Amino acid sequence: MEKKNINFTYNDSSKVEQTIVINNDDFDLVQKDTHIHDTKLETKPTTFFKDAMKRFRKNKSSVAGGIILGVIVLLAFILPFALPYEIDAPLTSETFLEPKLFSAGTGWWDGEKAYSQIVYDTVNEVPAGFEKRAVNDVVTTEEGEYYTDTVNEFAYGGDIRFYTDVISENSENTTGTLASYYYAYDLSNDYKVAVNFNENNEKSEYTLGEYRMYFSYLAMGDDFLYSVPKQIELKDYSKDYTDIDIDLTNALIDSGLDSTTKFIEVQQPQIVFELKASTEAKQCILLHSVLVTSDNEAEAEGLDVVSFDDANKALLTTKADSDGQENEGYWTGLRSKTTLNQANIIYADFDYDTYEVKYGEVENQEFGQTLIASYIDKGYMELDLDTYLAIDDPTEADLNALIDSFVILDDACPIRTVDNVTMSNVIGIQVVNVFGTKSLYRSLGYTSAPSFLFGTDSSGHDLLKSTFAGLRISLLLGIITSAICFAFGLVWGSISGYFGGNVDIIMERFCDILGGVPWIVVMTLCIIHLESNLQTFALALCLTGWMGTSARTRTQFYRFKGREYILAARTLGASDTRLIFRHILPNAMGTIITASVLMIPSVIFSEATISYLGLGLTNLNSFGVILSSNQQYIQTHSALIVFPSVIMALLMISFNLFGNGLRDAFNPSLKGSE
Amino acid sequence: MVKYTIKRLILAFFTAFVIVSLTFFLVKMLDFPKPVGQPATQFAYYANQNILGFVMDFTTAQTGYGELLWKYQDTARIWHYFYQTPITTQYFNWIHNIFTKWDWGTSTYIQPNVGVMHIIASKLPYTIRVNIIAVVIAVPIGIGLGVIAALKKNTMTDHIISTVVMIFISIPSFIIITFLMLWLCYQNSWLPSQWPSDMADVATQAKGYIIPVLSLSFGSICGYTRFTRAELTEVMSSDYLLLARTKGLTKSQTVTRHALRNAMVPIVPSILAEFIGILAGSMILEQLYGIPGIGKLYVTSITAKDYNVLLVDMAFFTMIGLAAGVLVDISYGFIDPRIRMGAKK
Repeated sequence: MEKKNINFTYNDSSKVEQTIVINNDDFDLVQKDTHIHDTKLETKPTTFFKDAMKRFRKNKSSVAGGIILGVIVLLAFILPFALPYEIDAPLTSETFLEPKLFSAGTGWWDGEKAYSQIVYDTVNEVPAGFEKRAVNDVVTTEEGEYYTDTVNEFAYGGDIRFYTDVISENSENTTGTLASYYYAYDLSNDYKVAVNFNENNEKSEYTLGEYRMYFSYLAMGDDFLYSVPKQIELKDYSKDYTDIDIDLTNALIDSGLDSTTKFIEVQQPQIVFELKASTEAKQCILLHSVLVTSDNEAEAEGLDVVSFDDANKALLTTKADSDGQENEGYWTGLRSKTTLNQANIIYADFDYDTYEVKYGEVENQEFGQTLIASYIDKGYMELDLDTYLAIDDPTEADLNALIDSFVILDDACPIRTVDNVTMSNVIGIQVVNVFGTKSLYRSLGYTSAPSFLFGTDSSGHDLLKSTFAGLRISLLLGIITSAICFAFGLVWGSISGYFGGNVDIIMERFCDILGGVPWIVVMTLCIIHLESNLQTFALALCLTGWMGTSARTRTQFYRFKGREYILAARTLGASDTRLIFRHILPNAMGTIITASVLMIPSVIFSEATISYLGLGLTNLNSFGVILSSNQQYIQTHSALIVFPSVIMALLMISFNLFGNGLRDAFNPSLKGSE
Repeated sequence: MVKYTIKRLILAFFTAFVIVSLTFFLVKMLDFPKPVGQPATQFAYYANQNILGFVMDFTTAQTGYGELLWKYQDTARIWHYFYQTPITTQYFNWIHNIFTKWDWGTSTYIQPNVGVMHIIASKLPYTIRVNIIAVVIAVPIGIGLGVIAALKKNTMTDHIISTVVMIFISIPSFIIITFLMLWLCYQNSWLPSQWPSDMADVATQAKGYIIPVLSLSFGSICGYTRFTRAELTEVMSSDYLLLARTKGLTKSQTVTRHALRNAMVPIVPSILAEFIGILAGSMILEQLYGIPGIGKLYVTSITAKDYNVLLVDMAFFTMIGLAAGVLVDISYGFIDPRIRMGAKK
């Protein structure tokens, strides 16, 4: 080929040399008048963080975790200020309210507490010790389903088990007695005694024994202590437990007494049951009822003391009097004991509306004059006291007019209705007492009936508010701690990782030693030496926490400092500072920040752990303190521990999901790959 | 390998020594733990401390030795005035006592005048028994679940296992214990709500293990499942496993002969470390369920201000942590030939 390439020569197919001459004119610049420059990129450029965010958004579970986390954190910063309830001073009247979301009667999360096997008061038709207005859905047991052998105010029926203990063989006291006095026996009246026994003695501890029955009295002038009482046999020793019907008057007259005898003139006239004791087993008889009747109806009430047809009631009365002077009107004995046998008792299962008890309306409450005056002063209500107090001797009509003058002016008025008014004259001053319906929540100062989503704790604080207020403290502790750890760990890790060599070895050894101490030990030492407050906690957590950040930073530095772009920057004369802050840190930042964010839940966890060990914050109600102090109510008020625990679990799970998502998103090895 | 092991052991020993020494000074800077009980018992304590070199015994009041700890007139009518020895001297005496007599100190409150080592030895069995059962249950289940999840990667089974593991690994242990107690002890009364005493009958004692073991193994199972799944997934996607399959091995052969063995390399050391960790137990579980173990002892010693016990308990926890670390490092060498060969070079 010729050097000059303007003229080309070549041989064509018929071996004839041909020449091509190329002139300048043959060429024309294609883009002579167009501007040539880089076209703008069609797609938007991406940065490292944008890329990471994009990856993060694709991770659905992490986004969900992030949202839940965001909501919880937001609530922690809003709820303590948004909710009106008091959480600092103890509120003694509003303790242990159940969680309430739905209105009462829904059956679930409605502020009702389910009780079961509570003794039922059949007279007032309410479980014993509970407010009737708050009791719902009562299911009572059938009569005869449950029995009790313990005297109970709300039991009824049953038998008196009259028994004697086992005696030793040489004991002289071989019998026990059970007796009841009645002073007004008058043989001109016709007395009848009916005794009903229960033969159904199932308790193996006792055996049905041999008893007798007699009437005894001390004649006038007999010594109370030393004389032997006169005894008139009514029934001889036997094991006959069929019903006894005795005409007492006839029996006494038959034994020689005059029909005009009045026992008011003698001492201790009584009907006595005597039971033989045994050396082998406890002897007993079961008295279902003893009825002494008279044809003189005026005596009916007086005879009640020697009669009983409700063993539980009889024993209850005797018991009530037993600590005082011995009451001769009740069944008592010598060398014998009485217990109850198989009294009916009814238990109830029911729901108890805890809100109705504390905040509902109570009827028939008494309001004093001063209280009413203060309500009138506040403009809550109107009651024409002045007019009617001026009347010296108010009539029924006046009182009714006073009741009618009641008007509620303000909804905050705790008195809802006035049903009755009494006026009395105390030392010349007219005193008025008003009876009516009282609205409890209004008298506590609420404008509407409160409803606590999580219930209230032992101090009457709204658990929802105190939980989130505690969470706020714990979160703040977490944020402060991880910020300090982040700052210190970053510096330490950067130096250690960037310079390497001996500096690195010495710094690493230091970390090894400090890192070898369990965090709980560091925490304990700090708490013992300093007070148990927020600063101490932050200090102790920082002492162990920064090493995580530092180790992570160091790894990232090792990872990036050998890269070509660093070498290039160094060759171009970049200083150490520039290399660290402009070239390495920005790349490492994502991973380090993720780790720092994940430190927050671990701080919350540590704080709660310390609280559970009983070394928690003393002056602040942090999340851990609330959790651990409610632990003692796990059996009685489980909602107190369940709700904060669920929040804690949710928080930890969402933190983990969120953190894992962030970590995956920031891990540059995944960059570009989907 | 031997050189590596020795180096690692010496380093761990040095670390432990520094930490325990620091802890000693920090604890001794607190108030001197004074004993409780009868004067005679107290005197026995002080006399023993004098022999061990922690206090000085004078017959008259002294100045210049700081606060007078206690004075006592013994049966021979001789006065004893006790002062604290300088902390540095106490430190050297302490080290001396440990190495010559294995005497780590004396309890002042928990069991007055009883050696701390004796107390720790009496508490350890409770902790160990509960934890060993938990580990023995947790390791096979955890690894098994992890293997299932890895082999069925990206299927429903895997997703369910992974989600449950994620949830349980996130929930703090005290929440799990609380809910277990609520469910099993209070709502249904199947189990005792407190650790049964040693007097209780065998059935009750056996029931007492259920909650501690459950709550301890939940975390372990989840940890092992996640770890095994991650390791096995990585191995399963490796080239040599593909080669094994192309050679004609069945899937089960490749899994059992190649994948599992290689995946076990990091898992086995962690199991070994777990067995060391058994000694430390779970402080929070012992506190909540009232197990009279080593963790409960730690809390009791703080609240009772029995600092001698606290010091040794702290040292004990530290050393267990370090020992676990050393065991992991060394066992890696034994298990993984690459590390073993690397160390020889």
